[in-house]
Formats: sequence, structure tokens, C-alpha cells
Amino acid sequence: MKPEKNEIPEAWEPKIVMFCCNWCSYAGADGAGIGRFQQPASMRIIRVMCSSRVDPVHVFSAFLEGADAVLITGCHLGDCHYINGNEKTLVKFNFMRSMLKELGLEEERLQLNWISASEGEKFSEVVRAVTEQVRQLGPSILKPEGVA
Amino acid sequence: MSELKAGSDIKVGDKLLGWAVSEDVRSRGASGGLVTAVLAAALETGFVERVLVLKRVSEFEAYPVFTSDVKEVLESAGSMHSVPVNLARYLKPETCSGKIALPAKPCDTRAVVERAKRNVLSPENTYVIGLNCGGTMHPETVRKMLEAVYRLGPEEIEGEEILKGKLVFFTKDGKEHAVPIDDLEAEGLGRRDSCRYCQVKVPKNADLACGNWGVPGDLAGKGTFVEVMTEKGAELLRNAVHAGFAELISADEKGISAREKVNKVMLGMSEKRKAEVFAPIENGGERFEYFRKELENCIHCGACKAVCPVCTCGEDSKCTAYSSLADSYRMSLFHMVRFLHLSDSCIGCGQCEDVCPAEILLTRLYQRFAVPIQKEYRYIPGMSDRTPPFFALKPEDNEDKEGSGCSCR
Ligand code: SF4
Ligand code: SF4
Ligand code: SF4
Repeated sequence: MKPEKNEIPEAWEPKIVMFCCNWCSYAGADGAGIGRFQQPASMRIIRVMCSSRVDPVHVFSAFLEGADAVLITGCHLGDCHYINGNEKTLVKFNFMRSMLKELGLEEERLQLNWISASEGEKFSEVVRAVTEQVRQLGPSILKPEGVA
Repeated sequence: MSELKAGSDIKVGDKLLGWAVSEDVRSRGASGGLVTAVLAAALETGFVERVLVLKRVSEFEAYPVFTSDVKEVLESAGSMHSVPVNLARYLKPETCSGKIALPAKPCDTRAVVERAKRNVLSPENTYVIGLNCGGTMHPETVRKMLEAVYRLGPEEIEGEEILKGKLVFFTKDGKEHAVPIDDLEAEGLGRRDSCRYCQVKVPKNADLACGNWGVPGDLAGKGTFVEVMTEKGAELLRNAVHAGFAELISADEKGISAREKVNKVMLGMSEKRKAEVFAPIENGGERFEYFRKELENCIHCGACKAVCPVCTCGEDSKCTAYSSLADSYRMSLFHMVRFLHLSDSCIGCGQCEDVCPAEILLTRLYQRFAVPIQKEYRYIPGMSDRTPPFFALKPEDNEDKEGSGCSCR
């Protein structure tokens, strides 16, 4: 049986859980704000000390509790405040992505990006791009019923 | 017949035929009782401290015991296709002090290798006597088969063996009852689901690889083919020969190729079955619906996690600690974490689905994730000492991987 394609309501805005590392991407978010770059209000930002602190449990919980997508961000490779935390993030990310894809989620629902402290503009670009991608996909199949 | 091999001549790579010296062991054990003799010799000479074997209750029931009693080892002799436990699960820090030896089918051996990587046992102190395996059966299915196909009562059975594609039951009145396994499986009986698509039939990852494939006709039922895979395996055999428990001769070319042939046929059948069972579900939504429906009856008893031999977390495990039924609207965190953690490491042993009280075909679900990921990383769990790819510290450590990986670089 093919489940019905989710109706995408007109005014629907995706809810995206975004993890930002303390040293780079969270500072990037500040930069985006100071620079007044426009971006949709789709992100729910969670600050973590390092992108590698993001455990698969956090990602799965976000989906199970209603996130339409999860975006993990960290320092560029080679710039990690903890030497190589972001490389470990990358290993885990590849695994989570394959697993979620096999489970039936679209690849775009889990994303990873490197944003440095000085890249305020990139920050807002990434937010806009990811939001647009997820808006096209509609609500996630893992979203509990009754959650907007 | 060629000459008996002297113990000191045995080396890694040897392909031999052997049997127990003692008449009693030969008659009790399968195929000449070589495995039993090797285990008994290892205990008798103090080569190992303890042996892990199955203690037989009946043809359909047995439980694992660690023993230093040679008598108990002798009693454990014989194959038990209807007791599909995975012995590796019992090897943990609390039980693994000193040297131990155990008989192990390929999935047990793979589990031993994976558990060693997770530091719950010491590979140097664990001697694994691998046994060829064409498949095992769930005891409940065996009872069903006896009733519906063989028309026998469980109390009439004296023994069982898988011979030339047939499942044979020996009854107490001295008769043999044989039915082709294909016929049984056509009716949904026969081997366990996971055995039907299992990809390892000869345990070349063990210290010794033993079995009755490749035993010439005149020795059929009286000898075991054994390939020495590691130095530890050679030590075990030398010890058994020196102690006067076992006799060995070199296997001939004909036997060696016969063994390879049986292996190839079995693997071919598994490969075919695997393609059938894991036919891709193209649409993502349908895939999700499949998993959701399968897990609908899960009561979250945790038995699948408790029995899994590659999970070594014990009581404090991530999959149970953070999962709450209150948040499990469409799927539980428990299953999602397990799908992820086992995607590189599930050896497809079938233990989880054997114990599931809701009768969910769980191994199929885990393998749905494992098949593509293990292919992508070219990683076959339990077959080498390579670090599981999920534990890699850098993406480069997994460079032996197909595909492009992360799109953001
Ligand atoms: S054994 Fe079966 S019922 Fe129990 S938790 Fe696992 S899947 Fe659920
Ligand atoms: S998930 Fe099931 S089949 Fe896979 S290793 Fe664990 S018990 Fe065996
Ligand atoms: S699924 Fe993961 S967390 Fe759960 S017991 Fe296995 S390894 Fe541990």
C-alpha cells in the first residue's frame, strides 16, 4: 500500500532543529544577526560545544518529536576547537544519513554544513536553502500526528 | 589410507581428516567425534581452563555451561540443529578469565570476533573450534515438523542429522526418517529464516574449521574434515594428538574440492534467497510503512537487545536509556538506535527474531539496514579484525568505501 502523499498546507513552515557548535557556527549565527541578513524563522537552534557532541539519539529524538529536518553545523574541517571533533561528526553523519534513507526519509532531511564564525552571510544562506528544500518535501513521515 | 600425522607436523593451512581415538567418543560424537576429542584433550592436559558447551536436556533443549569436567564435554557431543543458541553471548568479562575453548558455528565465530573488538573477551585466550553449518532450526518449528510432516512424537526421537540436503530423524526403534529440506521449506518449515540467507557456511574466521563436508565415502560418519586456520588452531590439534585423544591424516585433493563444492552450492542458495527476501522497496514512504507495520506489535520487552551477541552494552545501553514509550508515536527510539548501531555490525545470526515474543522477523529488519551499509563500507562483520566503520575517528579510516560520502566537502 502506498501511503498518501502528504498534503502541504499553504502557510506551512517547516520546523528544523539546528545544532550549532559553540566556537564557529553559533558565532556565525550571531554574525548573521549583526549583519541583518534575512532568513526564515524555521530553525530551532541548539548550541552544543562541538558538532561531535550531537549524538544520533539527539537527531532521532528531534525527528520523533516533530522536526521536519535536522541540520548539524560545525567548524570547517581542520578548524575544530577540539582538534578533530568535526571529523567524527562526519563519520556519524554519513551513517545516520544512510540509515534514515533506508528507513524511508528523504536525504535532505538530515544535513551537515560547516560554517565558520566569520560566515554570517553563509549562515543565513544555508538556513534559507535548507528551509526551501524541506518546504518542497512537506512534513516528515516520522512526525507524530497532531503536531503542527 | 595415508599415514597418521604426527602432532608436531601440524601447521597453519593444513587440511586434514581426523577422528577421536576413544571408541566411546566416536560413537557419541558426530563424524568421528574429533571436535569433542579436541575439547576434551584441551581440558585434560590443562591447555585450557574451561570449555563452553551445550548441556543437553533433550534433543530440543540444551543450555550453555562453562565446565572443567571432561565428562560433561563428552556428554555434550553430537550436533544439535534444533538448539540455535549463540554461545558467544556468554563470553563476557565476568566469565572469561583464563583460557577457554568453545565449539562455534560460523555466526558464533563471527560474534566472538565482534565481541573481541568491543573488549569483552581476550582473543588470545579464546580458542574457537569452528563448525560448518548449513543451517539450524527453531525448536518450535521442529516440533511442528515432527507432528505435521514426520508424524512422530518428540519423545520418540533419539537423534537428528542433516545429510545430503535431507533432514533425518533417528527414532528409538532404530528407524531413519528423512525429508528433503527444500520440501519442508516450501511449507514454511525447515531452517530458521536467517539461516536460509546466511552468507558464511565454513567458519574460516575460527581457529579450526571443522565439518563433514569433504570426508570421503569410506570415512563418512567416521571422520571430520578440519582446516587449520590459525596458529592457535594448530596448537589445539597438536595438543589433542600428543595427548592421544585424536588421530589425523592429510585430506586428499578430492575431499578438498568436494568440500569447496558443497560450500559453493550452499552459498549460492543463500545468495538467491537473500536476493528474494531483500528485494528493494523503491518508494521511501512504502519502506517506512513496512518497518512501521512490522514493529507494530512490539511490546518493548528488550529481549532482542538482551540476546544480541554483538551488542555488548549490558544494562546501561543507549538504546534503552533514552527511549520512552510516551515519545514513540510512529517508531520508538529504541528501534531507531538499534537499527543504526547494528547497521555495520549485525552478523545476521537470527537470535533476535528467535526470542521475539511478538514473532517479528527482526533479523530481516536489521539486515535491511546492514546489507547496503556493509556493502558500501566493504565491511563484513566478524570476518576480520578491522575496526567497525562506525567507530572510525576520521572519514579516511573508512576510505575502503564505495560512493562519494558527504556532499559538503
Ligand atoms: S523482542 Fe520483539 S517485542 Fe521484544 S523489544 Fe524486541 S522487537 Fe519488541
Ligand atoms: S541484530 Fe539480531 S541478527 Fe543481528 S547480530 Fe543482533 S541478534 Fe544477530
Ligand atoms: S543497540 Fe546499541 S545501545 Fe543498544 S545494546 Fe546494542 S550497541 Fe548498545
